[in-house]
Amino acid sequence: MPDNPDRIAHEISLRGFEVAAVESLPQPVIDFEITANRPDCLSHVGIAREASAIWQLPLALPEAPAIPAVAGADLDVRLEAPDLCPRYCAQVFEIKVGPSPQWLADRLSAAGVRPISNIVDITNYVMLEIGQPMHAFDLERLGGRALVIRRASPGERIRTLDGVERALDQDVLVIADATHANAVAGVMGGHDSEIGSSTRLMALESAYFHPPSVRRTSKRLGLKTEASIRFERGGDVGAAPAGIARAAALMAEIGAGVPRGAFIDRYPAPRIQTAIRLRASRIARLLGQEVPAEAVGRILTALGFEVATDNQAETAWRVTVPTFRVDVAREADLIEEVGRHYGFDRLPTTFPVLSAPQPPPPSSLVHERRVRHVLTAAGFSEASTFAFIEREAAQPFCAADSEPAAIANPLSEKFAVLRPSLLPGLIDSAAHNRKRERRDIQLYEAGSRFGSGAAAAEGRAVALVWSGAANGPHWSAPTRFVDFFDVKGVVEQICAALAVTAAFVPSATPFLVRGRAADVRAADGRHLGIVGQVLPAIVEARGIPAMDEVFAAELDLQALAGASAGDDKRVESLPRFPSIVRDISMLVDDTLPAAAVRDTIRSAAPPTLVSIAEFDRYQGKGVPDGRLSLSLRLTYRAADRTLTDDEAQAATEKIVEALRTRHNAERR
Amino acid sequence: MSDIDKLRQEFERDLAAAATDAALRVVRDRYLARKDGLVSNLLKGLGQVPPGERPRVGQQVNQLKAEIEAALEARLAAAAAARPPAGAVDVTLPGRQPRLGHRHPLTLLRDRIEAIFTRFGFLVLDGPELEDDYHNFEALNMPPEHPARDMQDTLYLAAPIRSAVGSPATLLRTHTSGMQIRHMESSPPPVRLIAPGRVYRRDQFDLTHTPMFTQVEGLVVGEDVSLADLKGTLTAFVRELFGPERRVRFRPSFFPYTEPSAELDISCASCAGAGCQMCKQSGWLEILGSGMVHPAVFEAVGYDPERYTGFAFGMGIERVALLKWGVEDIRLFYENDLRFLEQFPL
Repeated sequence: MPDNPDRIAHEISLRGFEVAAVESLPQPVIDFEITANRPDCLSHVGIAREASAIWQLPLALPEAPAIPAVAGADLDVRLEAPDLCPRYCAQVFEIKVGPSPQWLADRLSAAGVRPISNIVDITNYVMLEIGQPMHAFDLERLGGRALVIRRASPGERIRTLDGVERALDQDVLVIADATHANAVAGVMGGHDSEIGSSTRLMALESAYFHPPSVRRTSKRLGLKTEASIRFERGGDVGAAPAGIARAAALMAEIGAGVPRGAFIDRYPAPRIQTAIRLRASRIARLLGQEVPAEAVGRILTALGFEVATDNQAETAWRVTVPTFRVDVAREADLIEEVGRHYGFDRLPTTFPVLSAPQPPPPSSLVHERRVRHVLTAAGFSEASTFAFIEREAAQPFCAADSEPAAIANPLSEKFAVLRPSLLPGLIDSAAHNRKRERRDIQLYEAGSRFGSGAAAAEGRAVALVWSGAANGPHWSAPTRFVDFFDVKGVVEQICAALAVTAAFVPSATPFLVRGRAADVRAADGRHLGIVGQVLPAIVEARGIPAMDEVFAAELDLQALAGASAGDDKRVESLPRFPSIVRDISMLVDDTLPAAAVRDTIRSAAPPTLVSIAEFDRYQGKGVPDGRLSLSLRLTYRAADRTLTDDEAQAATEKIVEALRTRHNAERR
Repeated sequence: MSDIDKLRQEFERDLAAAATDAALRVVRDRYLARKDGLVSNLLKGLGQVPPGERPRVGQQVNQLKAEIEAALEARLAAAAAARPPAGAVDVTLPGRQPRLGHRHPLTLLRDRIEAIFTRFGFLVLDGPELEDDYHNFEALNMPPEHPARDMQDTLYLAAPIRSAVGSPATLLRTHTSGMQIRHMESSPPPVRLIAPGRVYRRDQFDLTHTPMFTQVEGLVVGEDVSLADLKGTLTAFVRELFGPERRVRFRPSFFPYTEPSAELDISCASCAGAGCQMCKQSGWLEILGSGMVHPAVFEAVGYDPERYTGFAFGMGIERVALLKWGVEDIRLFYENDLRFLEQFPL
C-alpha cells in the first residue's frame, strides 16, 4: 500500500469512489463521495475493505469482544412494528458522562464531527467506523423503563433533539417509552430522554430500520441526519449487535461506562443471506473479456463475499452476499464487483456489431431541422429559453379565461408555470438585447409549449420575433423598419419549405395589435398559427419601449406537418411556349382585401392565367378618398401553344369586367 | 555646382513628392511654363552668359528641358493608366451582406453529436418532455423511495396534463431515458439509438447549474453487446468530438439503471493532464455517464435479460459546450444575447 495519501485516494477513486478532497494537515484525511448504492462505505471499515481488495492486504476489523452479562438495570423492549423495524438491539450501560480523551476528539474532528461528550462521541465514532448509527436514551427518563417500537398514533407530537416540536402521523415509526414517543426511528432522538451530564443509566439502541420508511419520514419531516442517510440507503441488518459490542469496548477503553443487564436482540425473522450463481461465461459476455478464475475468487473474497466453486456444465461460483452489501442482488451486480477491481482499463475496446438497419428518423426532427435552416437563412438567430416562466409573462398568451399549466414545486416565481407559447421567452430575450443597445433583433426558437386551461397539452411550435430594421445596415440605403409583410413573408417561406399551402385571415388574437394580425390557416381551414404585431403594452411590461414595434409569428409544428403535402412530388416540366404579360390598374375600395381581388380574377380567368402579381398600390392625388389604385400584372401562358395577343386581351377584358361587377372597380 | 545641376536636383525632389495627377501638373508649370517657368527663365537668361560659353550652356539647358519633359510625360502617363475606369467602384467600401442568422450553440452541438452517432449507425429519437413516474423512474429500476431519486430532483406538475405522445404526464422528465423505455416497449432488439432533448431538474440557476438543460442519451441492445463495445463506441465518439489527442478513461460509478456503471473522463485540454483549476487539479474532466443496461430495465420492457445485453450512456450538452468553447457562465446559453450567439457559426 502506498504511503502517499494522494496515491491512495487515486487508486480508490478508480474503484468507484470519487475523491472530494485530500488534506494532509494535521493528519492525512481523504474525503470520498459515496454513491447511493454503497451505504457500507459510509464508514471507515467499508473503505478499508476496498483497500484490502486493491492492495491484497488482510482486513483488520476493530475489536469488539462479546459483552459479559452483568445483573441489574431492567429494560423492557417491545417490537410492535417488525415490518418497519426488522431488528432492534439494545443494552443498558451504567455511565459517567464527561469529555472524550484527546485521541477520540481528534479523530472525530478529522472526520468533520464536533466532539460533544464521551457517550455521544462514542456513538458517532462507531457510526463512522463501522457504519452503524446508534442512539442513546437516558433510561431514567423513559417512562416504565420501556422502549416500544411502534407507529406514531394520530396527532402524536415529539420535540426532537434540535428543539423543534414535530407533528407525527401513523406512517412514522417512533421509539416510545410507556406513553410518549422518544425518538423518530432512524432519524433523530427526542429532547426529553436526551443524555445529559447527570445521566447515570443509558439505554443504547442499535437497530435496522426499513429503508423506504426512514426515507419517507425524513422527507416528510424535512430532517436529514447522518443516521437517516445511512438507514434510508439500507443499513446492515447484521451489524446491529456489532454496534453495541464495539461501543461497549470503547466505553471500557476510555472508562465511560459498563454494561448492565442482558443484551437485548429483537430479530423475529432473521434474514437469509442471498446466494447468487456467477458464471465465468456471463462475466466474459458482459465485460467483453474473460477474467481469470483466480482473480474472480480473490476479488470477491476480499470484498467480503463467500465464494464456492459451482461448476456444472461450465465454470461458475456460488457467491454468498454479506448483509452489508445491500446493493448486490443478482449476477450483474457481482460482475460489476469483478470488473471494478479487475480494472475497466484492462478491458479491450471493440465496436458493437451492426446486425440490422435502424428505422428512419422521426419526421418531427426532419421538419424541425428544415424550419431552422429557413429561419437562419432568413436572418434569425436561434434562441433557447426555459420551458417554465413567470405567471404574469404567460398569462397574456393563454386562451381566454384559462390559466397556464402550473408546476407543483417550482424553484421560484420566475419558473412557476409551463409556457403556453414560445413568444414570452423570445420577448424577454429581445428585451435583454434591447437593454444592451441592440435595436435590430431577429430571434427564433423551436421547442415545446404546453397550452393552457383544459386544453393544456405538450406540443411543438416554432416562434419568431422581429424588431428594428428590416434591411441590413448599409451606407447605400436608409434603414427601413420591419412591418407586417416582412414577418408574413418569413411565415410564407416556412410554409413553402414544408410544402404547406397557407391562407392568412384577419385575426382577433388577444396579444396581437388588431388590424395587424393574421391567423395562418391550412387549405382545410385548420389553424396553423398566428402572425402580427405584439401589443405594445405586453412588450413594454417586459422592458421593451412601447414605441418599438415588435412583430412576431408562432406556428404549430405538428399542425404544419399534418398540412404538409410531403416530399413526394413530381416535377412540372418547364414551359415550352412564351408567356404574355398584361398590366391593369383599377380603382377599388381601400377596404377590399387583396385576397378577394385575386379570387375574383381567378374565377373569371381562363386556365392560361399563370400568375397574378400586385405591383403597385397607390392612394393620394387623383384617387378619391376611400379608394385605392391597384396595379396588377397578369401573366398568361399555355402549355401546348403560343398564346395570341387577342386571347390575352379577351381574358383581361373578362377579368376587368368581373372586378367591375363584383367589387365596383373602375379601370384607370 | 552649376545652376543647371541645382535645378535638376530640385526637379527630381519635386517630381518624387508629386503623388497625384494634379501635383504633376503643378510641377510641370513650375519648370516649363512659358511665362516664369524655371527652365524657360534659364533659357531667357542665356543672353547674360559670355558668348563663348553660350553654345555649351544652351545645350545643357535644352538637355535639362528635354529630361524634365520626358520624366513628366512618363509620370503623367503612368498616372493616367492608374486612374479607375468609368463606372469603377471603391472596392474597399463594406459590402451589402445578406442577413443570416446564427445557430444556437446547444443545437449546433446537438447536431454534431447526432451526426457522429448517425454515422455510427444510431437512430435519433424524439419524445415527450412531460413524463409519468413509470417511464421516468420505475421502469429504470428506481421504485418509489429509491435513494437514487435524490440524484435527480424532480419538478412535478400541479395537475396531470397530456404529453406529446398523448399519455397523462405528472412530471417534467429528469432525463431522456423515458424515450428509450418507450422505444423498447414497442420495438424488439437490436436497438441502437440516441435520445436527445431537454430535461428538467429542480436545480438552482447559477454559474454552473440550470433547472433545464439538454441531454443526449444513447442505448445499444443486442445479443452480444459488452462493456468493451461501450468503451470502443464512446472512445471513438469523444475523440471525434474533442480531438484525437485526448486521452480517455472509464471509472466505475453508480446509476440505478446500469450495472456495471462507468463514468467517462477525458484528459483536460487546458493543462494537458497536469492539473489545473478547470479540472480541479485532477487532470481529467468528467464527460458522460454510462454502463451496461441493468437486467431489471430489460425485464420492465419485456426483453429477455439472459438473451440480450446492452449499454447505455448519457451526457449534458451544456457541460460539453462549456468545455469545448470555454464558456464560463452556463446562463449565457439561456440569455440569448446576440453578441454571444453571433460568435457561433451559421
